[in-house]
Amino acid sequence: MGLPNAFEDLSSELEVDAFRRLFPLRYFERHLAESIRTDGRPLGKARETSIFLGAVASANGSALVKIGSTTMLTAIKMEVMTPSLESPDEGCLAIDFFMPPICSPIVRPGRPAEASPVVSKQLSDTISSSKMIDLKELSLVSGKAAWMAYLDIYCLDADGALFDAALLSAVAALSHLQIPAVAMNDDGKIVLVSDEDGRKQAQEPVNKEKRKLTLRSIPFSLTCILHKNYILADPTAEEESIVETHVTIVLDTSGQLISLYKPGGPVLAYTSAIQDCVALTRQRVKELKSFLDKENPDMEV
Amino acid sequence: MGIVEGKESIERCGGNGMVFEKIHLRMEYVSPEGLRLDGRRPMEMRQIRAEIGAVSKADGSAIFEMGNTKVIAAVYGPREVQNRSQISNHALVRCEYSMANFSTGDRMRKSKGDRRSTEISLVIRQTMEASILTHLLPRSQIDIYVQVLQADGGTRSACINAATLALADAGIPMRDLVTSCSAGYLNSTPLLDLNYVEDSAGGPDVTLGILPKLDKVTLLQMDSKLPIDILENVMQLAIEGCKAIANYIREILLENTKQLEYRRGV
Repeated sequence: MGLPNAFEDLSSELEVDAFRRLFPLRYFERHLAESIRTDGRPLGKARETSIFLGAVASANGSALVKIGSTTMLTAIKMEVMTPSLESPDEGCLAIDFFMPPICSPIVRPGRPAEASPVVSKQLSDTISSSKMIDLKELSLVSGKAAWMAYLDIYCLDADGALFDAALLSAVAALSHLQIPAVAMNDDGKIVLVSDEDGRKQAQEPVNKEKRKLTLRSIPFSLTCILHKNYILADPTAEEESIVETHVTIVLDTSGQLISLYKPGGPVLAYTSAIQDCVALTRQRVKELKSFLDKENPDMEV
Repeated sequence: MGIVEGKESIERCGGNGMVFEKIHLRMEYVSPEGLRLDGRRPMEMRQIRAEIGAVSKADGSAIFEMGNTKVIAAVYGPREVQNRSQISNHALVRCEYSMANFSTGDRMRKSKGDRRSTEISLVIRQTMEASILTHLLPRSQIDIYVQVLQADGGTRSACINAATLALADAGIPMRDLVTSCSAGYLNSTPLLDLNYVEDSAGGPDVTLGILPKLDKVTLLQMDSKLPIDILENVMQLAIEGCKAIANYIREILLENTKQLEYRRGV
């Protein structure tokens, strides 16, 4: 086997790892000079993405999304509530993003991650401003009963581009959502109609036809980091910790810009840089749309 | 199957505009042919499945499934102690147990920091601490985080099994694996590995955690009433379950080590 050989290999391996830890910026820039990233990707390429619908069997809709190592699990639970007085015809969508301590060494119990409420707010803003869901579809009986959909997104592994993965998993879960059948019983209250009873259905389901939500323009996003003159798409956590400037662009399937988010950072971006990011995002939207369509062939858009 | 003609009482409860009709019938948890509600035999465990290395960022991680109960555990450590005042010549072991909002049938409001989660965190920490060789890692901290993704009874046991795998994946020295299983006693039959329905039946629920090679019990919890002579039987059943899980865990670890060897080119 050649022990001296193994020792040499091991020691050179250690040198590379040590260099990576001690001088992360130089390690990173050495790669950029060759137009490549530390994991071998070309600059504008996103990581391998996979979507798995129906990951949580007990939820009304769920999806597990992996972008590279970043893993997000979303589940939707529906409950009946009385709608508010200002909008008696609308239901409600509550979005919550959690980063439990398992996802990253930086998250400690008792001290939630900085990114968690930021991504949470971004997500609710994006989903409501994209008008993907018509809240009127969540209404059951005007003024009396409507659906409250709780969307819970859990990050199981935080390796960069959290917002992208979270948005994709929220969208995938919404596309998978099956609204349960309910009926009005004699007291005028809404009751779940269970299919496995085997008893004769004494009550007519109130919403037999509307079991799935119609999604209008679906938002997809891409986060890019800017370093000197380079634009890198879909950063890993290591890259995000080295480069502090990032731009998140959300486009919908019809090509319209839904949101643009650049929260400061040392690199000032000229319009040309932003336009390049938008071009990268456009490409990514096409990719993501095809992934989602593959998983959900009968989705109405 | 499972419903015996008996007294019917209809209970109505309301909340959120929904009315649930709970119909109480005398439930039969073990049919005369000897089958349980999900078709298992009394001494049969649910299907177990485990996977190592689920969380790439963690030093060690594992997913453990017992039937419909799915749990993910991640271990970070040994790393520097956060709180200077807690440095000692033994490793500090911390554990946090939390359940996802969607893990149970109805959505949970408070998934962390409630009494049950705090209690289970403590139980898991003390169980694992009994096995970790903490004196080999002074001035350091080992964090075990467990997240329940789907709960169908036996979450405590699934968490301990997942934590064992995650600790092994992280390379933390231990005296022995720690495996755990639950057992109960319904309709005069000892049952192995209760699911949620059997657990909520009101009968006794014994959770056992052992170090299989050393044959030592590190965790023993029981709810409800049980005559002492029957306790012996139920405990023995749980020990068998734990040993079966230990065999499975060993297989998984062996397979994982082989994979690592292939990748290293050994």
